[in-house]
Amino acid sequence: MSVSTAPETDRDLSTHELIAPDVPWELIVWNDPVNLMSYVSYVFQSYFGYSEAKAAELMLQVHTEGKSAVAHGSKEKMEAHAVAMHGFGLWATVQKGGNRG
Amino acid sequence: MVLVCGPRCKRVATVAKAFSAGRRGITGYLEPAERDLLRKLFADIITMLEPESPAHEDPLAALIGLDMDVTPPSDPALLRLLPDVVKDDADSALEFRQLTERSLRESKIGALRAATMGLDAEKLVLDAEAAKLWSMALNDVRLVLAERLEIRDEKDADRVHEVQDWADADDVESYLSLVYNFVTWLQESLVQAMLAELQRAK
Repeated sequence: MSVSTAPETDRDLSTHELIAPDVPWELIVWNDPVNLMSYVSYVFQSYFGYSEAKAAELMLQVHTEGKSAVAHGSKEKMEAHAVAMHGFGLWATVQKGGNRG
Repeated sequence: MVLVCGPRCKRVATVAKAFSAGRRGITGYLEPAERDLLRKLFADIITMLEPESPAHEDPLAALIGLDMDVTPPSDPALLRLLPDVVKDDADSALEFRQLTERSLRESKIGALRAATMGLDAEKLVLDAEAAKLWSMALNDVRLVLAERLEIRDEKDADRVHEVQDWADADDVESYLSLVYNFVTWLQESLVQAMLAELQRAK
């Protein structure tokens, strides 16, 4: 999926993105009191192909720290992942790498 | 996140038989009353998710699911099903919503319909894909019920989890809590079977 988000008010940013398309973005998964720990592990294993150990590590990070950057890559790819996470019912957002929000 | 199945879970487990992973995939058995309850819950969520406006008149826009008239849902439960993709940037979030919300609604409705159809069989036999759709449908039911029950943190989750006896169902909140706990138990049972299948496939 390709999604263009270049708001008119933010020309500098979009120009920057055109020059540096490989700037890393992050997919953040947020903690909530509803999703089951087992289900979140299942999603991380089945969707991202992570090992049981890595899925458990990321799941516990979401649980204890409130969020975790579970994938990194292009903006388009992270947005596609976010839609998939929303399909599973996990709350995920995308942001520029290193921007701790 | 919540970890289900403390000691209390054993009591709930007698209400319905668990899903289990076996040679023919994942199988499960539900009582007729449980099927009726799930049919109703799935139908309620489908109604919530059905877009108010018909697909865009422009066939190409309709094809790619573009919806320029979309606004963030005012119902917090619906917003939880269709959350913003960007934090603290309403404009970017709305722009993304215009491009993706309609297809997200459709994929969720698809999972809920698939799970509903599965309820017609006497015994549930789920392959990996059907199990995934079932787990998504159950999760969406839980997200909506959790919003209605105002589960905002782990303490709230514990409060709802305390309600375990159907004899206590004397008001809407306790009834919803019992339904929530049943669907939670069902999803946990299903996901444990799915995780076992994932391990077996390795």
